Amino acid sequence: MLMAGCSSEESGGTSEKENSGKSASGKDQELVIAVNENFISMDPHNTGDTNSNSVQTAMLEGLLGSDEEGQIIPQLAEEYSVSDDALEYTFKLRQGVTFHDGEPFNAEAVKTSFERIMKDESLRLNSRGFNLITSIDVMDEFQIKVTLKEPYAGMLTRFVSAKILSPKLINDSSSDIGKTPVGTGPFKFVEWVQGDHLTVERFDDYWNKADRVKKITYKPVPENGSRVAMLKTGEAHVIYPAPVQNLKELESNSDVEIHKIPSTIARYVSINTMKEPYDDVRIRQAINYAVNKEAFISVVNSGYGLPLDSIIPNKTQFYAKQETYDHNIEKAKELMKEAGFEDGFNAEIWGNTNSDTLKGMQFIQQQLKEIGITVEIKSMEEGTLSDEIYGAQTPEEAKVQMWYVSWSAYPSDTTNATKPLFSSSSFPPDGANTAYYKNDDVDKWITEVNQTADPDKQAEIYNNIQSTIYKDAPWIFLGVDEILAGSRSNVEGVFISPTGGINVTDANLK
Amino acid sequence: MLQYILKRILEMIPILFIVSILIFFFTHLIPGDPARLVAGKDATLEEVTIIRAELGLDKPIWDQYITYMSNLFQGDLGTSLKTGLPVSEMFADRFMPSIYLTFMSMGWALVLGLLIGTLSAVFKNKWPDYLGMVTAVSGISMPGFWLGLILIQIFSVQLGWFPTGGAESWKSYILPSITLGAGIMSMLARFTRSSLLETLRADFIRTGRAKGLKESVVIPKHALRNSLIPVVTIAGLQFGFLLGGSVVVETVFSFPGMGRLLIDSIAFRDYPVIQAELLLFSIEFILVNLIVDIMYSMLNPKIRYVS
Repeated sequence: MLMAGCSSEESGGTSEKENSGKSASGKDQELVIAVNENFISMDPHNTGDTNSNSVQTAMLEGLLGSDEEGQIIPQLAEEYSVSDDALEYTFKLRQGVTFHDGEPFNAEAVKTSFERIMKDESLRLNSRGFNLITSIDVMDEFQIKVTLKEPYAGMLTRFVSAKILSPKLINDSSSDIGKTPVGTGPFKFVEWVQGDHLTVERFDDYWNKADRVKKITYKPVPENGSRVAMLKTGEAHVIYPAPVQNLKELESNSDVEIHKIPSTIARYVSINTMKEPYDDVRIRQAINYAVNKEAFISVVNSGYGLPLDSIIPNKTQFYAKQETYDHNIEKAKELMKEAGFEDGFNAEIWGNTNSDTLKGMQFIQQQLKEIGITVEIKSMEEGTLSDEIYGAQTPEEAKVQMWYVSWSAYPSDTTNATKPLFSSSSFPPDGANTAYYKNDDVDKWITEVNQTADPDKQAEIYNNIQSTIYKDAPWIFLGVDEILAGSRSNVEGVFISPTGGINVTDANLK
Repeated sequence: MLQYILKRILEMIPILFIVSILIFFFTHLIPGDPARLVAGKDATLEEVTIIRAELGLDKPIWDQYITYMSNLFQGDLGTSLKTGLPVSEMFADRFMPSIYLTFMSMGWALVLGLLIGTLSAVFKNKWPDYLGMVTAVSGISMPGFWLGLILIQIFSVQLGWFPTGGAESWKSYILPSITLGAGIMSMLARFTRSSLLETLRADFIRTGRAKGLKESVVIPKHALRNSLIPVVTIAGLQFGFLLGGSVVVETVFSFPGMGRLLIDSIAFRDYPVIQAELLLFSIEFILVNLIVDIMYSMLNPKIRYVS
């Protein structure tokens, strides 16, 4: 099965046509993956972008990994447990694992990597969670215990991204980590030609023996048309993302398969709840009733996506579906009238200069016109926009009214999908609560949910958080993206996770 | 001549010094905070502040400038804010492909441009002229982006002759260089034609012909040589632009060149990379200008340089 998981129904092509003239068996072949952006760094402890992360995942592993649904699974740890107070994490490590440089994998190696994340100031972004660690105890060669000073709900997800590097690399040549990482993964680093390609090669001593391709080359190909051409010629076996406008053309090609993967990317417009007239919940609800979400998906996302029916996408842990704001102009007008804005008002929406963003903002503009709101579109280049949004030091200084934006968190990290967006401690510049949403209950729950390791209790609290915020409507809830990828039909064992990460652990060519 | 070249090279030093100052301050004037862009949307103020300090962006601009210049004098172009890699290392992989692509595009554009221009002028208002000028107008009118994609569709997807992108073998350079050179070829053809036509009307040509010189001598030896001065000027200017301006072509062909790196760096406010790249382009531009000036005197010995 190819690109399994959420896209399984799309798979199953049986074309036998050989790719790019290669005739060797899958074992000796090279897989080429074309992605849309350059890789930034190969230092797993200092990576923010999905593409770099995808490549790292081929070479490096964490104690925990994630499956096709983005949920956490054991990887270099065979088992793990969390104490009831959510302060102690104990891992039983896999035995018989070696690093690509021949170093043995054991508890000391884990400690070395974790300590690097904790101590190196330049890794501050990745040390969230790790800066809460009070001790790392090596219980025996293959058992390790990590103790936190206070509970942190996203900690398990941090263990997924805290890839374990060879201790020899960290101690002897730490400046090479970003260029030539050494881990325990199924593939080892070969070369990285900046801007052109990055190649990895099968690691034959990998602990999880399986038949997989000999080499994988990742190529950054920003232009959509070029990626599509590469897939058609067989120069690339997998392209991610596949451009929406070329889908029909690709679908008619029998050598190519298209995969649609529900993502954790939420599309929304944050509404500044501290500014008049948006400080009136009726106005915000009216705006939500006025926007047709189905039409949004078909017009702006070319039909690929799902309505955003909670504050978090449905692939996120603890998601609970809410009663959506159906498209209802009458109800919207009624709410506007109740709030004293029968004749509407003038509004401003901000967004970046991306053409999809522009299309989205024009859609909102057209929809709100129906209830008398005249929306002016201001599109700004990303850096300038970021200055405008995060330059405001207090809510009073903030000029933003509505911001057309998206958010993507790990499916297993509900904290990251809620706290930076809805906690009153996350007002810019301290976080991304650009709706300046403040609700004391929500603030209390966001703190509470972090202090327990009991999933049932967490689910209950997240339920409350979701229903309360959805009713308060600090956003125009738009949609959840479906991410699209294309592959040659002889590719198997490659899957794309809901965050857009490409997993090649079992990659093979038929 | 040698003295003149030396003098010109020495003159580059103060120019580059001024250019580096301008580049530094203008780069820092672009709105947008690199620390925030590095930190990401969900970063807290504390994290952004730490990153800003780490990148040295919290220091007064003059301090930053002094550090930048003293590093520059030691040949250190700095470290990328985005990748953490030395800028020189980031250039290493991309500089030569960019240079090859530029020379290849310029090479065929010059040969074809001069040829078409000359034929058009010689056969003025006859079919070779019409054909040449139609080719030239088409070359100028076709946007690089579009031409590139069409070439990929025909020669990579349909015929399978060339790869769609990258810079791995000589074959990878063919389609991008055609795309990049098309506009310049057309421009050179038109300039050559009009300049040659003008020269052909000049008195010395008439005299030559009256003295019984054959057309095969008049055209290449006397007319073309004298027509080349404005063509060289245009070619030099275009060459300078090509070195830094092939962003569109590099994007279409996923070509690992300097143009794409510059665009990526600007989007990310990667100051050291932007500064180093602009400085490099300035040096290239000045050098190309010097070569153009030297070529003037080779084409027309009446142009003499006084040191």
